[in-house]
Amino acid sequence: MIEGYRSTLQRSENTVKRQPQVTNLYVWCLHGFSLLLCLVMVFPLLWLVSTAFKLPEEVFARTLQMFPSQPTLQNFSDALNAYPVDRWLANSVFVAVAITLGKLMVSLPAAFVLARWRFRGRQLLFAMIVGTMIVPYIVTIVPNFILVSNLRWMNSVWGVIIPMTAFVGFNIFFLRQAMLTLPQDLFDAAAVDGANTWTMLTRIAIPLVRPSIVVVSVLSFILAWDLYLWPLLILGDTDSKTLSVGLQYFAVNQPAGEQAWGPLMAAALISMLPPLVIYLLAQRQIISAYVISGIKG
Amino acid sequence: MTWKRLEAYLYVLPSLLLVSLFIYWPLVFSMFLSTQDWNLVSPRPEFVGIDNFAELARDADFHDVVKNTFFYIAILTPLQVLLPLGMALLMWPIRKSRPYKIYRIILFLPVIVPFSASSVAWLWMYNPTAAGIFNQILSSLGVTEQTWLRDPDLAIWCIIAISVWRVIGVNFTIYMSALVSVPDDYVEASALDGASALQAMLRIRLPLISPTLFFVLITTVIFVSEEIFTAISILTDGGPFGRTSNVLWFLFERGFRFFRVGEASAIAIFVFVVMVFLTWLQFRYVEKRVHYD
Repeated sequence: MIEGYRSTLQRSENTVKRQPQVTNLYVWCLHGFSLLLCLVMVFPLLWLVSTAFKLPEEVFARTLQMFPSQPTLQNFSDALNAYPVDRWLANSVFVAVAITLGKLMVSLPAAFVLARWRFRGRQLLFAMIVGTMIVPYIVTIVPNFILVSNLRWMNSVWGVIIPMTAFVGFNIFFLRQAMLTLPQDLFDAAAVDGANTWTMLTRIAIPLVRPSIVVVSVLSFILAWDLYLWPLLILGDTDSKTLSVGLQYFAVNQPAGEQAWGPLMAAALISMLPPLVIYLLAQRQIISAYVISGIKG
Repeated sequence: MTWKRLEAYLYVLPSLLLVSLFIYWPLVFSMFLSTQDWNLVSPRPEFVGIDNFAELARDADFHDVVKNTFFYIAILTPLQVLLPLGMALLMWPIRKSRPYKIYRIILFLPVIVPFSASSVAWLWMYNPTAAGIFNQILSSLGVTEQTWLRDPDLAIWCIIAISVWRVIGVNFTIYMSALVSVPDDYVEASALDGASALQAMLRIRLPLISPTLFFVLITTVIFVSEEIFTAISILTDGGPFGRTSNVLWFLFERGFRFFRVGEASAIAIFVFVVMVFLTWLQFRYVEKRVHYD
């Protein structure tokens, strides 16, 4: 009887194996479709990069020309001469790194006690912090603008960094989730050895949830790099801008008559490099961060 | 209070302070400001009750902006939810092939690139002169060139295009990872019953990922208005004639160009209430039809 069962099972395995077989032509069509789709999606970025390396006469050539015939770095030096792009880059790096680190510093201890300890008010605190994820950013801008101007943080990177660090809901949610899965034995053993809470957090919990820390860090960095509306309100002085709002300033204030598309694309290229490098290095983590959070950028 | 409990509160305190000061307090303060008349400069705001809301209800510009906002939502939601689903279904059979990995990387790129960088790239592509790439393509096809962002009827579609371009890769990736996570047992069982690959997809995998569809739907509706702000700011500045302006843009103009703080806060509260209502509606009516395995 067992023999008979086995043969049925084998037969069924064969059917299952045969099932997903798709004809070759169909597969080729799907690849063709995917390739076309990818070309369409990547085209604006290719056009940006190609314009950044084109000579002015090619930028305005009225013939479709995908690639620069003589790639030049002229646009980059023109961009730097026209606007303090290097300053903007430095501001962007500082803002994005500070927000990423600030979010980690406040969310790790909170996630730790919310995951591992039972104390009165724990549920409420967790709900309050994670509940901020559904408060639309739009209701906070007017009061925060007033607050930041009263604190005299206008035109200062701190006026961007501190309020934006407050959006830690996802970080705490995600890190707590990771810390919930750690075995209690580890902490019990550490307690027997006389470890205090800080040691448990820094020596046990943090090293064990490192993959999750990478996920929230890369997401925080990319979102901070992409911040637009808030820096637009706070960073009015040309020198205080981040790249995101610097590009807008550049685009709006192009000298009339001689539109500086080449240099503008060069500046845009500079602004897209850091997140791109991080994406290529931590692709899996970034994709999972977006899949879990539902953030659309 | 024991030391341990105090210590727990201390660990939560920094994040609690931050969210209270920069998220909850502003929420409450917005409600207060929405009842005030203030221009940020005069020494103190003046209480005007619900006048700001009444003013908005009469304001024809605000009506247009609300119309635009719903137009954006009505067009962008189906595009951003269904297009990527179609892509996922089409690309499902080749998900294990080598080139698929490259497709996935490329499709995800637009959301990684800073939105202001891609916006200036699209600004350049939409250039109304013959130098713009879209006009070059049109003229090589023998079609009349367009003024794109300066065309009052076309401009909103230009914003819609860039928004779709930016988001479909993320939603595609979300669908793909949900489809992959459906246990193969179910599909194999259906194969035993003679179901075809297509049937297995439509009758088994797709219903099983309905919570994901629901999640994407909600996040899309919630994020759409905020997400396109960068594009509006760089591409059209709300114009031409306010035709591309949405409610967030309108708030930005009233609050930070005209410094009508009370009115801007009233808009914020209005949006907040509508968003809470929309989310509730979706949970109430859509979630019932959603299948959680």
